[in-house]
Amino acid sequence: MDYSDDPEVAEFRAGLRAWLRDHLDEHRDATGYESAESVERTLRWHRALAAAGYVGLSLPAAYGGHGLPDLYEAVLNDELATAGAPPPPPIGHIAHAVADFAGEDLKTRVLPGLLGCTEVWCQGFSEPGAGSDLASLTTTAAPDGDRFVVDGQKIWTSGAMWSRWCLLLARTERDQPRHRGLSMLVVDMESPGVDRREIVLASGSREFAEVFFDGVEVPAANLVGERGQGWRIAMHMLSYERGPADMGWVGRLGRVLAAARDDVRSGRLPADEPLRRRLAAASVDLRVLQWHVARSLAGRDPGGSAGSVDKLLTTRIEQNLHHVVGDLAGASFVLGDPAPYGDYLWSRAQSIYGGTQQIQRQIVAQRVLGLPRG
Amino acid sequence: MEIELTAEQRAFRDSCGKLAAHLASRWHRGRGPHDVGPSAPDEASWSRVAEAGWLAMRLREENGGAEAGAVDMMILAEQLGHHAVASPVLGTVIAAEQLQSWGAASGLLEEIAEGTRRLAPALTPDLTGFADATGSLAWDAAGAEFAVVPATGTAYALGEPVPFADQTRAVRPLGEPVRTLTELTAPDGETAARTSAFALSLLVADLLGTMQAALDAALDHARTRVQFGSPVGAFQAVQQLLADSHVLTEASRSACWYAAWAVDALPGEEALRAARVAKAYASRSAVEVCENVIQVFGGIGMTWEAPAHIWLRRAHAARAAFGDEHHHEAVIAATEFSGS
Ligand SMILES: Cc1cc2nc3c(=O)[nH]c(=O)nc-3n(C[C@H](O)[C@H](O)[C@H](O)COP(=O)(O)OP(=O)(O)OC[C@H]3O[C@@H](n4cnc5c(N)ncnc54)[C@H](O)[C@@H]3O)c2cc1C
Repeated sequence: MDYSDDPEVAEFRAGLRAWLRDHLDEHRDATGYESAESVERTLRWHRALAAAGYVGLSLPAAYGGHGLPDLYEAVLNDELATAGAPPPPPIGHIAHAVADFAGEDLKTRVLPGLLGCTEVWCQGFSEPGAGSDLASLTTTAAPDGDRFVVDGQKIWTSGAMWSRWCLLLARTERDQPRHRGLSMLVVDMESPGVDRREIVLASGSREFAEVFFDGVEVPAANLVGERGQGWRIAMHMLSYERGPADMGWVGRLGRVLAAARDDVRSGRLPADEPLRRRLAAASVDLRVLQWHVARSLAGRDPGGSAGSVDKLLTTRIEQNLHHVVGDLAGASFVLGDPAPYGDYLWSRAQSIYGGTQQIQRQIVAQRVLGLPRG
Repeated sequence: MEIELTAEQRAFRDSCGKLAAHLASRWHRGRGPHDVGPSAPDEASWSRVAEAGWLAMRLREENGGAEAGAVDMMILAEQLGHHAVASPVLGTVIAAEQLQSWGAASGLLEEIAEGTRRLAPALTPDLTGFADATGSLAWDAAGAEFAVVPATGTAYALGEPVPFADQTRAVRPLGEPVRTLTELTAPDGETAARTSAFALSLLVADLLGTMQAALDAALDHARTRVQFGSPVGAFQAVQQLLADSHVLTEASRSACWYAAWAVDALPGEEALRAARVAKAYASRSAVEVCENVIQVFGGIGMTWEAPAHIWLRRAHAARAAFGDEHHHEAVIAATEFSGS
């Protein structure tokens, strides 16, 4: 048992701290997607992090990553949290799916742009008729010589409005049972026949869209893995999306708590003893989450179901934290600056995206604990 | 960074688990209100404990010990919790650690290490920490001869156990002074913080073992108890309780590991901060998990015969010992969230 840094990790940590000291100030508000300007600020932060070598830490160096062990992702998260920095780009899950399943040619073509944050990606899984029951999706990608022709509709696609690429889960095999008929494709969002329509989130954030595909041609070379492998790749990818490092959770929550701490200490927001106790309890949760993430990453079994445990833990901690912070804000939670209320609303999404809380519990119960299926 | 147990530690865990199971089998959980006697271990059990080296392993060499790390002690404490062992191992180990930090004579510490002299730690009347005066309670004191209040150097005989929710541990009032330990001197702040962190980390491990054992039993029950023609574990509402319990248990394990590592690796104050966090988290979680477990057992979970209440009781009592979540969060609130 040793949580202390090896010399290489210590050096990495020191370098990151120094970089943050010099560069963080210009990016402090790079957190949102409320407007075109805030999207641009957020993307600038992602590109700055990438250019400094802090994106794709655990991905292969040959494609723009850094080939480091997973625990470097935990160090990155810790340091961003401590510094009160915005979260890193949420792309680990997409990058792992492509890196672990795509052929050489596709990886070389697309991964450097993804990991360099010069090209934004989105994840086209959910459909109006297929949310929790993802395998029932009906968007088709009909094989046609050296290409696929895509028809259908995706929804709740985060970042679709400004994405260059979409990792699309679609049905390619008509005569196969539902899970086996799916394939994963990399779709150029600038192709003819792609139509995106913005959907505004309840928080006012403009990061989502619905995407219509009407006879969109996708080169066969953009197939990730093999035909019929889509479900496996999707599950692999979701295990990373639910997993701890890639989403920058600890950093995001650390920022929220640090701001609350400053407000209380400076006397900007009054906090009575019960409220200060609840803040203390939220800080207990957050430290435990940090330790849990470190443990998950150091001994992680990629693609396992333990990501669901981490997602459930994060959800619980995040939603509680936002209740406390909302109560600390008092009337200003609902009055005045809408940003804190928007952050709270976002915390409610934690139990919906990437598989709802109910679905995650089912995964834990059945796949981790081995309980019978109902 | 290497966040896992070594092969040796896993082997140690297994051997602790075997002996803990054996010890537990000598004390039948939930036999009935009349025959759950005070949990004093019989002589045979106590000599097995001493032979296993559990009482000695943490002490310094000159005091008859093997200088085991806090992580090894955590492994032991988790197994004791897992099997709800009634022998007062943690009480003895914590008392010895405290006395060692006060420079107690090696003769006394060696006797404790060998199991020939039995001591318990003296805690404040609210159980939240080591006693600093009289009027305190000896915790995990079944079969103990005396408890020492180091600040005054006085060793007190112990009275009959007071009513205590936990059926596996005894709490006893301090009685007459029996001897004075003149050699004791107060440890520096660093050492005192480390000693408290050590005690907390063992309680966290005990809570972890307790909640895992309770959860394992509930899982077995959920797989085998049939209602509406299917195992109750197939019902989604039951699965959700168990999944949430698993999440709390795993997060508690993460906290337990870090806190135990911190005891020997970080400066005393930092180790103590980590231990407070872990104790607060595991205290709250253990009670929630054990309550969920009783729910999954249904009616049988509410009976004296079923072990579910033994785990819940042990969780509540270990939660209170050395401070529950409210106690530690009050400290954190005062240090980190107090206004200027
Ligand atoms: C902020 C945000 C970002 C998102 N980003 C993306 C994205 O980038 N790409 C993408 O593809 N999707 C994205 N999603 C979509 C998300 O994955 C889906 O919303 C989610 O999987 C749930 O599907 P649904 O909305 O259709 O809800 P439903 O599946 O209709 O669920 C409705 C309710 O029923 C419950 N339920 C459903 N089935 C069961 C069951 N078997 N047992 C118990 N309860 C059940 C659910 O838990 C939920 O409470 C995003 C969603 C949000 C909120």
